[in-house]
Amino acid sequence: MAPKTSSPPASTNVVHTLWKAYNEQTSDRLKFVDAFLFFLMLSGIAQFLYCVLVTDYPFNAFLAGFSSTVGQFVLTASLRSQVNPENRNEFKEVSPERAFGDFVLGSIVLHFFVYNFLG
Amino acid sequence: MVQLRSLLFLVASFASCLYAKSSTGDSVLVIVEPSKQDNYSLFFNGLKDQGYELTFRAPKSEGPLVIEYDVPNFAHVIVLASETKNLGKDVTPQSLVELLGKKTNIILALSTKQTPLTSLAAEFSLTLPPPGTPLVSYFPERKELPQIIPVSVQPNAIVSSSINPVWFSGVPHAIGNNPMIVPILRAPVESFASETDGGSADALVDASERGGEGLWAGSQLGLVTGFQTLDNSRITFVGGAEVFSDEFVTKEISKGVPSGNAEFVRDVAAWTFQETNVYRIDSTSHHLVNATKPLEQYTNNDNIVFTADISKYDPKTSTWAPYSGLKDLQLEFTMLDPHIRTALLSVSGKPGKYSVTFRAPDRHGVFKFAINYKRKGYEHQIPCLKDLLTSNDLCSLTYLESSTTVPVVPPRHDGYPRFLSAAWPYYTGAISTSLGFFLFSALWLAGDSREKKIKGHKAE
Repeated sequence: MAPKTSSPPASTNVVHTLWKAYNEQTSDRLKFVDAFLFFLMLSGIAQFLYCVLVTDYPFNAFLAGFSSTVGQFVLTASLRSQVNPENRNEFKEVSPERAFGDFVLGSIVLHFFVYNFLG
Repeated sequence: MVQLRSLLFLVASFASCLYAKSSTGDSVLVIVEPSKQDNYSLFFNGLKDQGYELTFRAPKSEGPLVIEYDVPNFAHVIVLASETKNLGKDVTPQSLVELLGKKTNIILALSTKQTPLTSLAAEFSLTLPPPGTPLVSYFPERKELPQIIPVSVQPNAIVSSSINPVWFSGVPHAIGNNPMIVPILRAPVESFASETDGGSADALVDASERGGEGLWAGSQLGLVTGFQTLDNSRITFVGGAEVFSDEFVTKEISKGVPSGNAEFVRDVAAWTFQETNVYRIDSTSHHLVNATKPLEQYTNNDNIVFTADISKYDPKTSTWAPYSGLKDLQLEFTMLDPHIRTALLSVSGKPGKYSVTFRAPDRHGVFKFAINYKRKGYEHQIPCLKDLLTSNDLCSLTYLESSTTVPVVPPRHDGYPRFLSAAWPYYTGAISTSLGFFLFSALWLAGDSREKKIKGHKAE
Protein backbone atom coordinates (compact mmCIF):
# COMPACT_ATOMS: atom_id res chain seq x y z
CA MET A 1 0.00 0.00 0.00
CA ALA A 2 1.22 3.39 -0.89
CA PRO A 3 1.99 5.57 2.06
CA LYS A 4 -0.83 7.90 2.83
CA THR A 5 0.08 11.32 1.47
CA SER A 6 -1.08 13.95 3.83
CA SER A 7 -1.82 16.55 1.09
CA PRO A 8 -4.48 18.70 2.80
CA PRO A 9 -2.52 18.86 5.99
CA ALA A 10 0.62 19.31 3.90
CA SER A 11 -0.73 22.38 2.08
CA THR A 12 -1.88 24.02 5.27
CA ASN A 13 1.43 23.01 6.72
CA VAL A 14 3.24 24.79 3.89
CA VAL A 15 1.20 27.98 4.27
CA HIS A 16 1.61 27.83 8.02
CA THR A 17 5.36 27.43 7.72
CA LEU A 18 5.55 30.28 5.21
CA TRP A 19 3.56 32.55 7.43
CA LYS A 20 5.64 31.69 10.50
CA ALA A 21 8.87 32.26 8.62
CA TYR A 22 7.61 35.57 7.27
CA ASN A 23 6.53 36.71 10.70
CA GLU A 24 9.84 35.85 12.32
CA GLN A 25 12.22 36.91 9.63
CA THR A 26 10.89 40.24 8.40
CA SER A 27 11.62 43.38 10.32
CA ASP A 28 8.86 45.60 11.62
CA ARG A 29 9.46 48.34 9.06
CA LEU A 30 9.15 45.92 6.19
CA LYS A 31 5.98 44.47 7.71
CA PHE A 32 4.61 47.98 7.89
CA VAL A 33 5.35 48.49 4.18
CA ASP A 34 3.76 45.13 3.42
CA ALA A 35 0.63 46.15 5.29
CA PHE A 36 0.36 49.27 3.16
CA LEU A 37 0.91 47.19 0.03
CA PHE A 38 -1.86 44.80 1.10
CA PHE A 39 -4.26 47.68 1.70
CA LEU A 40 -3.51 49.12 -1.74
CA MET A 41 -4.12 45.73 -3.36
CA LEU A 42 -7.50 45.40 -1.62
CA SER A 43 -8.53 48.86 -2.70
CA GLY A 44 -7.54 48.14 -6.30
CA ILE A 45 -9.40 44.83 -6.36
CA ALA A 46 -12.50 46.46 -4.90
CA GLN A 47 -12.56 49.17 -7.56
CA PHE A 48 -11.97 46.66 -10.32
CA LEU A 49 -14.81 44.44 -9.10
CA TYR A 50 -17.15 47.45 -8.94
CA CYS A 51 -16.26 48.38 -12.49
CA VAL A 52 -16.79 44.87 -13.84
CA LEU A 53 -19.91 43.94 -11.89
CA VAL A 54 -21.87 47.15 -11.47
CA THR A 55 -20.95 49.75 -14.06
CA ASP A 56 -17.98 51.36 -15.70
CA TYR A 57 -19.97 54.49 -16.28
CA PRO A 58 -17.48 57.25 -15.49
CA PHE A 59 -14.69 55.26 -17.09
CA ASN A 60 -12.21 58.06 -16.50
CA ALA A 61 -12.96 57.86 -12.80
CA PHE A 62 -12.31 54.13 -12.83
CA LEU A 63 -9.01 54.58 -14.60
CA ALA A 64 -7.95 57.31 -12.19
CA GLY A 65 -8.88 55.37 -9.06
CA PHE A 66 -7.45 52.09 -10.24
CA SER A 67 -4.23 53.54 -11.51
CA SER A 68 -3.89 55.47 -8.26
CA THR A 69 -3.76 52.21 -6.33
CA VAL A 70 -1.61 50.42 -8.89
CA GLY A 71 0.87 53.28 -9.20
CA GLN A 72 1.10 53.70 -5.46
CA PHE A 73 1.64 49.93 -5.14
CA VAL A 74 4.51 50.04 -7.62
CA LEU A 75 6.16 52.97 -5.89
CA THR A 76 5.79 51.37 -2.45
CA ALA A 77 7.10 48.04 -3.72
CA SER A 78 10.17 49.71 -5.15
CA LEU A 79 10.67 51.57 -1.85
CA ARG A 80 10.50 48.26 -0.02
CA SER A 81 13.07 46.61 -2.24
CA GLN A 82 15.44 49.59 -2.02
CA VAL A 83 15.16 49.86 1.73
CA ASN A 84 15.50 46.13 2.51
CA PRO A 85 18.91 45.62 4.15
CA GLU A 86 19.25 42.25 2.37
CA ASN A 87 19.39 44.09 -0.96
CA ARG A 88 22.26 46.39 0.07
CA ASN A 89 24.49 44.92 -2.64
CA GLU A 90 22.01 45.78 -5.41
CA PHE A 91 21.48 49.36 -4.39
CA LYS A 92 24.91 50.69 -3.43
CA GLU A 93 24.34 54.21 -4.73
CA VAL A 94 20.87 54.56 -3.27
CA SER A 95 20.60 55.27 0.40
CA PRO A 96 17.31 54.52 2.18
CA GLU A 97 16.70 58.24 2.57
CA ARG A 98 17.15 58.79 -1.15
CA ALA A 99 14.78 55.89 -1.84
CA PHE A 100 12.17 57.41 0.42
CA GLY A 101 12.63 60.81 -1.21
CA ASP A 102 12.08 59.27 -4.65
CA PHE A 103 9.02 57.50 -3.33
CA VAL A 104 7.47 60.68 -1.97
CA LEU A 105 8.20 62.66 -5.14
CA GLY A 106 6.79 59.95 -7.38
CA SER A 107 3.71 59.62 -5.22
CA ILE A 108 2.98 63.33 -5.31
CA VAL A 109 3.26 63.42 -9.09
CA LEU A 110 1.05 60.33 -9.27
CA HIS A 111 -1.65 61.88 -7.09
CA PHE A 112 -1.58 65.09 -9.13
CA PHE A 113 -2.30 63.13 -12.28
CA VAL A 114 -4.93 61.01 -10.54
CA TYR A 115 -6.95 63.96 -9.27
CA ASN A 116 -6.73 65.66 -12.62
CA PHE A 117 -8.12 62.64 -14.39
CA LEU A 118 -10.66 61.76 -11.72
CA GLY A 119 -13.00 64.55 -12.85
CA MET B 1 -110.53 70.54 -31.62
CA VAL B 2 -107.72 68.07 -31.93
CA GLN B 3 -106.03 70.30 -34.47
CA LEU B 4 -106.29 73.27 -32.15
CA ARG B 5 -104.75 71.28 -29.34
CA SER B 6 -101.87 70.14 -31.52
CA LEU B 7 -101.35 73.68 -32.75
CA LEU B 8 -101.25 74.92 -29.18
CA PHE B 9 -98.74 72.23 -28.35
CA LEU B 10 -96.61 73.35 -31.27
CA VAL B 11 -96.72 76.94 -30.18
CA ALA B 12 -95.83 75.90 -26.67
CA SER B 13 -92.91 73.84 -27.94
CA PHE B 14 -91.60 76.76 -29.95
CA ALA B 15 -91.95 79.03 -26.95
CA SER B 16 -90.15 76.58 -24.73
CA CYS B 17 -87.26 76.45 -27.16
CA LEU B 18 -85.27 79.13 -25.45
CA TYR B 19 -83.52 81.86 -27.28
CA ALA B 20 -80.36 80.08 -28.43
CA LYS B 21 -77.77 81.67 -30.62
CA SER B 22 -74.99 80.26 -32.70
CA SER B 23 -71.38 80.77 -31.71
CA THR B 24 -70.22 81.70 -35.19
CA GLY B 25 -72.79 84.19 -36.42
CA ASP B 26 -76.45 84.80 -37.02
CA SER B 27 -76.74 85.46 -40.75
CA VAL B 28 -78.33 82.61 -42.67
CA LEU B 29 -78.84 82.36 -46.40
CA VAL B 30 -81.75 80.19 -47.44
CA ILE B 31 -81.86 79.02 -51.04
CA VAL B 32 -85.41 77.94 -51.71
CA GLU B 33 -87.95 78.24 -54.49
CA PRO B 34 -90.02 81.37 -53.80
CA SER B 35 -93.22 79.47 -54.50
CA LYS B 36 -92.32 76.88 -51.86
CA GLN B 37 -91.02 79.32 -49.31
CA ASP B 38 -94.28 79.45 -47.40
CA ASN B 39 -94.26 75.68 -47.05
CA TYR B 40 -91.48 76.01 -44.50
CA SER B 41 -92.82 78.99 -42.62
CA LEU B 42 -92.91 77.30 -39.23
CA PHE B 43 -89.26 76.30 -39.52
CA PHE B 44 -88.13 79.74 -40.67
CA ASN B 45 -90.14 81.50 -38.01
CA GLY B 46 -88.60 79.24 -35.43
CA LEU B 47 -85.13 80.23 -36.61
CA LYS B 48 -86.04 83.89 -36.60
CA ASP B 49 -87.36 83.60 -33.06
CA GLN B 50 -84.06 82.16 -32.01
CA GLY B 51 -82.26 85.21 -33.28
CA TYR B 52 -81.08 84.26 -36.72
CA GLU B 53 -81.38 86.70 -39.63
CA LEU B 54 -82.64 84.89 -42.67
CA THR B 55 -81.99 86.05 -46.21
CA PHE B 56 -83.95 84.31 -48.92
CA ARG B 57 -82.69 83.68 -52.41
CA ALA B 58 -84.32 82.02 -55.36
CA PRO B 59 -82.29 79.19 -56.86
CA LYS B 60 -81.81 80.77 -60.26
CA SER B 61 -81.08 84.28 -59.10
CA GLU B 62 -77.61 85.73 -59.00
CA GLY B 63 -77.62 87.43 -55.64
CA PRO B 64 -77.04 87.80 -52.76
CA LEU B 65 -73.70 86.12 -53.38
CA VAL B 66 -72.69 83.38 -51.04
CA ILE B 67 -69.01 84.21 -51.17
CA GLU B 68 -67.45 87.40 -52.43
CA TYR B 69 -63.74 88.09 -52.84
CA ASP B 70 -62.89 84.98 -50.85
CA VAL B 71 -64.92 86.14 -47.86
CA PRO B 72 -68.17 84.35 -47.06
CA ASN B 73 -71.13 86.66 -46.75
CA PHE B 74 -73.18 84.49 -44.45
CA ALA B 75 -72.38 82.41 -41.40
CA HIS B 76 -74.72 79.58 -42.40
CA VAL B 77 -76.40 78.37 -45.58
CA ILE B 78 -79.53 76.26 -45.98
CA VAL B 79 -80.18 74.79 -49.41
CA LEU B 80 -83.74 73.57 -49.62
CA ALA B 81 -84.05 73.77 -53.40
CA SER B 82 -83.19 70.16 -53.88
CA GLU B 83 -84.72 69.67 -57.31
CA THR B 84 -83.01 72.49 -59.18
CA LYS B 85 -80.06 71.50 -61.30
CA ASN B 86 -78.49 74.92 -61.62
CA LEU B 87 -78.24 76.88 -58.47
CA GLY B 88 -76.44 79.92 -59.76
CA LYS B 89 -72.82 80.43 -60.65
CA ASP B 90 -71.61 80.87 -57.11
CA VAL B 91 -73.38 77.86 -55.58
CA THR B 92 -71.52 74.89 -56.98
CA PRO B 93 -70.20 71.87 -55.16
CA GLN B 94 -66.72 73.40 -55.27
CA SER B 95 -67.90 76.67 -53.79
CA LEU B 96 -69.80 74.86 -51.06
CA VAL B 97 -66.63 72.99 -50.14
CA GLU B 98 -64.77 76.28 -50.15
CA LEU B 99 -67.39 77.71 -47.83
CA LEU B 100 -66.86 74.83 -45.44
CA GLY B 101 -63.18 75.58 -45.49
CA LYS B 102 -64.03 79.13 -44.45
CA LYS B 103 -66.02 77.89 -41.47
CA THR B 104 -69.52 78.30 -42.88
CA ASN B 105 -72.07 75.69 -41.85
CA ILE B 106 -74.48 74.18 -44.37
CA ILE B 107 -77.74 72.27 -44.30
CA LEU B 108 -78.27 70.55 -47.62
CA ALA B 109 -81.47 68.86 -48.76
CA LEU B 110 -81.27 66.07 -51.31
CA SER B 111 -83.90 64.68 -53.61
CA THR B 112 -84.57 61.81 -55.96
CA LYS B 113 -83.42 63.92 -58.91
CA GLN B 114 -79.75 63.80 -59.75
CA THR B 115 -78.19 67.22 -59.27
CA PRO B 116 -74.59 68.30 -58.77
CA LEU B 117 -75.30 68.17 -55.06
CA THR B 118 -75.73 64.43 -55.35
CA SER B 119 -72.11 64.10 -56.36
CA LEU B 120 -71.17 66.43 -53.51
CA ALA B 121 -72.66 63.97 -51.02
CA ALA B 122 -70.45 61.26 -52.47
CA GLU B 123 -67.41 63.36 -51.62
CA PHE B 124 -68.43 63.11 -47.98
CA SER B 125 -68.59 59.28 -48.12
CA LEU B 126 -72.38 59.23 -48.43
CA THR B 127 -73.55 57.13 -51.36
CA LEU B 128 -76.96 57.90 -52.83
CA PRO B 129 -79.11 55.28 -54.54
CA PRO B 130 -79.82 55.50 -58.27
CA PRO B 131 -81.95 58.50 -59.29
CA GLY B 132 -85.68 58.10 -58.94
CA THR B 133 -85.57 55.66 -56.01
CA PRO B 134 -86.98 57.28 -52.90
CA LEU B 135 -87.32 55.54 -49.57
CA VAL B 136 -90.45 53.40 -49.35
CA SER B 137 -91.95 51.57 -46.42
CA TYR B 138 -95.19 49.66 -46.08
CA PHE B 139 -95.05 49.59 -42.28
CA PRO B 140 -96.71 50.85 -40.12
CA GLU B 141 -100.04 50.68 -41.78
CA ARG B 142 -101.20 54.18 -42.57
CA LYS B 143 -103.32 56.08 -45.00
CA GLU B 144 -100.42 58.10 -46.44
CA LEU B 145 -98.43 57.05 -49.49
CA PRO B 146 -95.67 54.51 -48.95
CA GLN B 147 -93.06 57.21 -49.60
CA ILE B 148 -94.17 59.23 -46.59
CA ILE B 149 -92.74 57.35 -43.68
CA PRO B 150 -92.88 57.92 -39.93
CA VAL B 151 -89.37 57.30 -38.66
CA SER B 152 -88.78 56.72 -34.98
CA VAL B 153 -85.83 58.66 -33.72
CA GLN B 154 -83.10 56.60 -32.12
CA PRO B 155 -81.76 58.55 -29.19
CA ASN B 156 -78.39 60.04 -29.90
CA ALA B 157 -76.53 62.98 -28.61
CA ILE B 158 -77.68 65.49 -31.24
CA VAL B 159 -81.40 64.91 -30.95
CA SER B 160 -83.14 65.16 -27.60
CA SER B 161 -83.93 61.81 -26.20
CA SER B 162 -87.69 61.82 -26.17
CA ILE B 163 -88.78 62.96 -29.60
CA ASN B 164 -91.88 61.62 -31.29
CA PRO B 165 -91.47 59.84 -34.60
CA VAL B 166 -90.58 62.10 -37.49
CA TRP B 167 -92.30 62.21 -40.88
CA PHE B 168 -89.82 61.70 -43.70
CA SER B 169 -90.03 61.65 -47.47
CA GLY B 170 -86.96 61.52 -49.67
CA VAL B 171 -83.89 59.48 -50.47
CA PRO B 172 -81.75 57.45 -48.11
CA HIS B 173 -78.00 57.25 -48.37
CA ALA B 174 -75.42 54.67 -47.46
CA ILE B 175 -73.01 55.89 -44.82
CA GLY B 176 -69.35 55.36 -45.60
CA ASN B 177 -66.48 54.63 -43.32
CA ASN B 178 -65.38 58.07 -42.29
CA PRO B 179 -64.79 59.01 -38.66
CA MET B 180 -65.98 62.57 -39.28
CA ILE B 181 -69.49 61.42 -40.19
CA VAL B 182 -72.17 61.88 -37.54
CA PRO B 183 -75.36 59.87 -38.26
CA ILE B 184 -78.41 61.71 -36.96
CA LEU B 185 -81.39 59.77 -38.28
CA ARG B 186 -81.36 56.26 -39.65
CA ALA B 187 -83.96 54.60 -41.84
CA PRO B 188 -86.47 52.26 -40.21
CA VAL B 189 -85.72 48.58 -40.43
CA GLU B 190 -88.60 47.79 -42.76
CA SER B 191 -87.85 50.47 -45.33
CA PHE B 192 -86.12 50.20 -48.66
CA ALA B 193 -85.35 52.37 -51.66
CA SER B 194 -87.24 51.58 -54.82
CA GLU B 195 -88.77 53.27 -57.84
CA THR B 196 -92.28 54.21 -56.92
CA ASP B 197 -93.43 54.95 -60.45
CA GLY B 198 -92.72 52.28 -62.97
CA GLY B 199 -91.12 49.93 -60.53
CA SER B 200 -92.54 46.48 -60.25
CA ALA B 201 -92.45 43.79 -57.63
CA ASP B 202 -90.32 41.59 -59.88
CA ALA B 203 -87.60 44.22 -60.11
CA LEU B 204 -87.58 44.36 -56.33
CA VAL B 205 -87.18 40.60 -56.05
CA ASP B 206 -84.36 40.67 -58.61
CA ALA B 207 -82.59 43.38 -56.70
CA SER B 208 -82.86 41.54 -53.42
CA GLU B 209 -81.51 38.35 -54.96
CA ARG B 210 -78.56 40.16 -56.42
CA GLY B 211 -77.46 41.13 -52.98
CA GLY B 212 -74.71 43.62 -52.21
CA GLU B 213 -75.59 46.94 -53.79
CA GLY B 214 -78.74 45.52 -55.31
CA LEU B 215 -81.18 46.39 -52.54
CA TRP B 216 -81.02 49.55 -50.49
CA ALA B 217 -82.83 48.61 -47.30
CA GLY B 218 -82.80 48.56 -43.56
CA SER B 219 -81.48 50.67 -40.76
CA GLN B 220 -77.97 50.76 -42.18
CA LEU B 221 -79.23 53.55 -44.44
CA GLY B 222 -79.04 57.06 -43.13
CA LEU B 223 -81.66 59.71 -43.73
CA VAL B 224 -80.16 62.74 -42.02
CA THR B 225 -76.38 62.69 -41.60
CA GLY B 226 -73.96 65.30 -40.40
CA PHE B 227 -70.28 65.75 -41.17
CA GLN B 228 -67.79 67.80 -39.20
CA THR B 229 -64.83 69.00 -41.24
CA LEU B 230 -61.31 69.53 -39.95
CA ASP B 231 -62.00 73.28 -39.87
CA ASN B 232 -64.81 72.50 -37.45
CA SER B 233 -67.53 73.59 -39.86
CA ARG B 234 -70.53 71.30 -40.00
CA ILE B 235 -72.62 70.18 -42.94
CA THR B 236 -75.80 68.15 -42.66
CA PHE B 237 -77.26 66.18 -45.54
CA VAL B 238 -81.03 65.76 -45.24
CA GLY B 239 -82.60 63.15 -47.48
CA GLY B 240 -85.64 65.24 -48.32
CA ALA B 241 -86.66 68.86 -47.84
CA GLU B 242 -90.12 67.85 -46.67
CA VAL B 243 -88.79 67.11 -43.22
CA PHE B 244 -88.79 70.88 -42.66
CA SER B 245 -92.18 71.50 -44.22
CA ASP B 246 -95.19 72.77 -42.33
CA GLU B 247 -97.27 69.89 -43.59
CA PHE B 248 -95.06 67.35 -41.87
CA VAL B 249 -94.70 69.45 -38.77
CA THR B 250 -98.43 69.62 -38.26
CA LYS B 251 -99.27 66.09 -39.40
CA GLU B 252 -100.01 63.75 -36.55
CA ILE B 253 -98.24 60.44 -36.17
CA SER B 254 -101.31 58.82 -34.71
CA LYS B 255 -104.35 60.02 -32.87
CA GLY B 256 -103.31 62.74 -30.50
CA VAL B 257 -99.58 62.22 -31.02
CA PRO B 258 -98.01 65.10 -32.90
CA SER B 259 -94.98 64.51 -35.06
CA GLY B 260 -91.53 65.27 -33.74
CA ASN B 261 -90.49 67.20 -36.85
CA ALA B 262 -90.45 70.59 -35.16
CA GLU B 263 -88.08 69.55 -32.39
CA PHE B 264 -86.07 67.42 -34.77
CA VAL B 265 -85.28 70.16 -37.24
CA ARG B 266 -84.56 72.56 -34.39
CA ASP B 267 -82.00 70.14 -32.91
CA VAL B 268 -80.45 69.52 -36.32
CA ALA B 269 -80.13 73.24 -36.90
CA ALA B 270 -78.71 73.70 -33.41
CA TRP B 271 -75.91 71.21 -34.05
CA THR B 272 -75.19 72.34 -37.59
CA PHE B 273 -75.14 76.03 -36.74
CA GLN B 274 -72.57 75.54 -33.98
CA GLU B 275 -74.78 76.01 -30.98
CA THR B 276 -74.20 72.71 -29.26
CA ASN B 277 -71.02 70.71 -28.66
CA VAL B 278 -68.79 73.65 -29.43
CA TYR B 279 -65.53 73.91 -27.53
CA ARG B 280 -62.43 75.98 -27.96
CA ILE B 281 -58.97 76.33 -26.49
CA ASP B 282 -58.74 79.81 -25.03
CA SER B 283 -55.03 79.84 -24.34
CA THR B 284 -52.07 77.63 -23.64
CA SER B 285 -48.95 78.37 -21.65
CA HIS B 286 -45.81 76.58 -20.56
CA HIS B 287 -43.11 77.26 -18.00
CA LEU B 288 -40.63 75.53 -15.69
CA VAL B 289 -41.99 74.01 -12.53
CA ASN B 290 -41.11 76.77 -10.11
CA ALA B 291 -41.44 79.69 -12.49
CA THR B 292 -44.29 81.56 -14.10
CA LYS B 293 -42.86 83.07 -17.25
CA PRO B 294 -42.39 80.93 -20.35
CA LEU B 295 -38.80 80.44 -21.43
CA GLU B 296 -37.52 80.88 -24.94
CA GLN B 297 -35.75 77.57 -24.76
CA TYR B 298 -35.64 74.66 -22.36
CA THR B 299 -32.80 72.29 -21.45
CA ASN B 300 -32.75 68.50 -21.57
CA ASN B 301 -34.53 66.88 -18.63
CA ASP B 302 -36.22 70.08 -17.50
CA ASN B 303 -39.47 69.71 -15.57
CA ILE B 304 -42.01 71.64 -17.60
CA VAL B 305 -45.58 72.57 -16.70
CA PHE B 306 -48.07 72.95 -19.55
CA THR B 307 -51.46 74.56 -19.01
CA ALA B 308 -54.45 74.87 -21.33
CA ASP B 309 -57.68 76.77 -20.81
CA ILE B 310 -60.72 75.31 -22.51
CA SER B 311 -64.20 76.71 -22.62
CA LYS B 312 -67.51 75.54 -24.01
CA TYR B 313 -70.15 77.60 -25.74
CA ASP B 314 -73.43 77.91 -23.89
CA PRO B 315 -76.15 78.64 -26.44
CA LYS B 316 -78.69 79.75 -23.87
CA THR B 317 -76.56 82.65 -22.69
CA SER B 318 -74.44 83.05 -25.84
CA THR B 319 -71.27 83.03 -23.79
CA TRP B 320 -68.19 80.87 -23.55
CA ALA B 321 -67.94 79.29 -20.11
CA PRO B 322 -64.84 77.45 -18.81
CA TYR B 323 -65.40 73.72 -19.04
CA SER B 324 -63.59 71.11 -16.97
CA GLY B 325 -65.44 68.04 -18.14
CA LEU B 326 -63.02 66.70 -20.75
CA LYS B 327 -61.67 63.50 -19.27
CA ASP B 328 -59.31 62.22 -21.94
CA LEU B 329 -57.42 65.26 -23.12
CA GLN B 330 -53.86 64.44 -24.17
CA LEU B 331 -50.71 66.46 -24.60
CA GLU B 332 -47.98 65.35 -26.98
CA PHE B 333 -44.43 66.68 -26.80
CA THR B 334 -43.39 66.01 -30.35
CA MET B 335 -40.28 66.16 -32.47
CA LEU B 336 -41.25 64.23 -35.61
CA ASP B 337 -42.73 61.60 -33.26
CA PRO B 338 -44.30 62.22 -29.89
CA HIS B 339 -41.57 61.69 -27.33
CA ILE B 340 -44.01 62.30 -24.50
CA ARG B 341 -47.73 61.60 -24.67
CA THR B 342 -49.44 62.26 -21.39
CA ALA B 343 -52.90 62.96 -20.03
CA LEU B 344 -53.83 66.59 -19.59
CA LEU B 345 -55.90 66.55 -16.43
CA SER B 346 -58.25 69.22 -15.20
CA VAL B 347 -57.10 71.21 -12.20
CA SER B 348 -59.63 70.92 -9.37
CA GLY B 349 -60.71 74.29 -8.14
CA LYS B 350 -59.94 76.12 -11.37
CA PRO B 351 -62.72 75.67 -13.91
CA GLY B 352 -61.54 75.23 -17.46
CA LYS B 353 -57.86 74.79 -16.58
CA TYR B 354 -56.02 71.65 -17.61
CA SER B 355 -52.43 71.16 -16.56
CA VAL B 356 -49.68 68.56 -16.57
CA THR B 357 -46.06 68.45 -15.36
CA PHE B 358 -43.59 66.30 -17.23
CA ARG B 359 -39.85 65.92 -17.71
CA ALA B 360 -38.54 67.02 -21.09
CA PRO B 361 -36.83 64.12 -22.87
CA ASP B 362 -33.08 63.60 -22.82
CA ARG B 363 -32.91 64.70 -26.45
CA HIS B 364 -32.25 68.18 -27.70
CA GLY B 365 -34.06 69.58 -30.70
CA VAL B 366 -37.09 71.60 -31.63
CA PHE B 367 -40.21 70.17 -30.00
CA LYS B 368 -43.79 71.25 -30.02
CA PHE B 369 -46.52 71.02 -27.44
CA ALA B 370 -49.38 69.51 -29.47
CA ILE B 371 -53.00 69.08 -28.48
CA ASN B 372 -54.95 67.06 -31.04
CA TYR B 373 -58.34 66.21 -29.61
CA LYS B 374 -60.88 64.68 -31.97
CA ARG B 375 -63.64 62.90 -30.18
CA LYS B 376 -67.26 61.94 -30.47
CA GLY B 377 -69.02 62.62 -27.23
CA TYR B 378 -72.26 62.89 -25.40
CA GLU B 379 -73.96 66.24 -25.14
CA HIS B 380 -76.51 65.02 -22.62
CA GLN B 381 -75.86 62.05 -20.38
CA ILE B 382 -78.38 59.32 -21.22
CA PRO B 383 -77.47 56.60 -18.74
CA CYS B 384 -80.27 54.08 -19.25
CA LEU B 385 -80.13 54.21 -23.02
CA LYS B 386 -76.37 53.91 -23.40
CA ASP B 387 -76.49 50.28 -24.43
CA LEU B 388 -78.89 51.06 -27.25
CA LEU B 389 -76.43 53.41 -28.82
CA THR B 390 -73.94 52.07 -31.31
CA SER B 391 -70.51 53.60 -31.20
CA ASN B 392 -71.22 55.53 -34.38
CA ASP B 393 -74.28 57.35 -33.15
CA LEU B 394 -72.50 60.01 -31.17
CA CYS B 395 -72.17 63.62 -32.18
CA SER B 396 -68.79 65.18 -32.67
CA LEU B 397 -67.18 67.59 -30.29
CA THR B 398 -65.36 70.44 -31.90
CA TYR B 399 -61.88 69.31 -32.82
CA LEU B 400 -59.40 70.97 -30.49
CA GLU B 401 -55.99 71.56 -32.02
CA SER B 402 -53.08 73.59 -30.75
CA SER B 403 -49.35 73.48 -31.31
CA THR B 404 -46.60 75.58 -29.69
CA THR B 405 -43.01 75.19 -30.87
CA VAL B 406 -40.17 75.38 -28.36
CA PRO B 407 -36.46 74.56 -28.65
CA VAL B 408 -34.80 72.20 -26.19
CA VAL B 409 -31.05 72.68 -25.94
CA PRO B 410 -28.40 70.45 -24.38
CA PRO B 411 -27.02 71.57 -21.00
CA ARG B 412 -24.31 74.21 -20.97
CA HIS B 413 -20.80 73.09 -20.13
CA ASP B 414 -21.41 73.97 -16.51
CA GLY B 415 -24.95 72.58 -16.45
CA TYR B 416 -23.85 69.05 -15.66
CA PRO B 417 -23.59 67.70 -12.10
CA ARG B 418 -20.15 68.23 -10.61
CA PHE B 419 -19.74 64.86 -8.95
CA LEU B 420 -21.35 61.74 -10.34
CA SER B 421 -22.98 59.49 -7.80
CA ALA B 422 -21.93 56.41 -9.76
CA ALA B 423 -18.28 57.26 -9.32
CA TRP B 424 -18.13 57.40 -5.53
CA PRO B 425 -16.21 54.09 -5.18
CA TYR B 426 -13.49 55.55 -7.39
CA TYR B 427 -13.47 58.82 -5.47
CA THR B 428 -13.07 56.94 -2.18
CA GLY B 429 -10.39 54.72 -3.71
CA ALA B 430 -8.26 57.64 -4.86
CA ILE B 431 -8.78 59.58 -1.62
CA SER B 432 -8.00 56.55 0.53
CA THR B 433 -4.81 55.95 -1.47
CA SER B 434 -3.70 59.53 -0.87
CA LEU B 435 -4.56 59.38 2.81
CA GLY B 436 -2.82 56.04 3.13
CA PHE B 437 0.26 57.50 1.48
CA PHE B 438 0.35 60.47 3.85
CA LEU B 439 -0.18 58.29 6.92
CA PHE B 440 2.46 55.84 5.71
CA SER B 441 5.09 58.47 5.09
CA ALA B 442 4.34 60.18 8.43
CA LEU B 443 4.66 56.92 10.32
CA TRP B 444 7.75 55.94 8.32
CA LEU B 445 9.52 59.17 9.23
CA ALA B 446 8.43 58.81 12.87
CA GLY B 447 9.83 55.29 12.89
CA ASP B 448 13.02 56.59 11.26
CA SER B 449 13.59 59.19 13.96
CA ARG B 450 12.94 56.63 16.71
CA GLU B 451 15.45 54.23 15.18
CA LYS B 452 18.02 57.00 14.94
CA LYS B 453 17.48 57.83 18.62
CA ILE B 454 17.95 54.19 19.57
CA LYS B 455 21.08 53.94 17.43
CA GLY B 456 22.36 57.13 18.92
CA HIS B 457 21.77 55.75 22.43
CA LYS B 458 23.51 52.53 21.49
CA ALA B 459 26.48 54.35 20.01
CA GLU B 460 27.02 56.20 23.26
